[in-house]
Amino acid sequence: MLKTNLKITGFAIIMSTGMYFTSCKSKPKETETKVENTTVETPQTTTAPVEIASDDALTTGVKDATKDYPGVKADVDNGEVTLTGEIERSKLQTLMMTLNTLKPKKINNLLTIK
Amino acid sequence: MAVQMGALQGKYQELIEAAKSAGVNNLQVREQDNVLYIDGEAATGQIKDNLWSIYNKIDPDFRAGDLIMNINVSAMAPGAKATVTTQSSNLNIRKGPGTDQPIVGKAEHMSTVTLISKTSDQWWLVRSEQGEEGYAYAQYLSVQ
Repeated sequence: MLKTNLKITGFAIIMSTGMYFTSCKSKPKETETKVENTTVETPQTTTAPVEIASDDALTTGVKDATKDYPGVKADVDNGEVTLTGEIERSKLQTLMMTLNTLKPKKINNLLTIK
Repeated sequence: MAVQMGALQGKYQELIEAAKSAGVNNLQVREQDNVLYIDGEAATGQIKDNLWSIYNKIDPDFRAGDLIMNINVSAMAPGAKATVTTQSSNLNIRKGPGTDQPIVGKAEHMSTVTLISKTSDQWWLVRSEQGEEGYAYAQYLSVQ
């Protein structure tokens, strides 16, 4: 009985090791060409790191997004967008919806709401 | 494998559940450096608006700075017609995708434009009812 159990356990270990190596072998091949910065990933998870836009891209994006909000000032630093100035509450959500598409790291809303 | 649920996923659980039940495609919920990132594709603008209402309810006036929600609307697709939903003014149609680009035309408030191709989440190449082609800011386009 004990022997059989050991055999089964041993077999399971061999099988899982085999699966583990197979998954490890095939994983980098797929990502090698696509991903610039290859990060160590657990084979089972599909979670990729969050993509944050560069400060240059954010600055351009923020400029376009705030063009129609004359009271709003937006600063970009290290992926964070900081909003200062004034806005009407009715317009806040629309502005935030646009800013959220720019892939910022974070948005600090310090706006005074009129 | 056990899925770890961070504190922010708890705070915004109602939002995440609403996104799931509304059938948001490619839904990704990630927590990184004390910010929660929710990405996905909603079928319609109404679903997106509803998710934003829930966000505003959980975090009034978006003050906490702990969530970035980027929900695209899949109905915004080449060939679709969109209404110009500016506050009241006409929408600038520009030579290129950027507010620094020259204005080549205007699409009237509440008129219809045809979406031609997507440059980014912010800019679309469109054709106005008058047949003018150029780039318009996506925030002011609502798919019919």
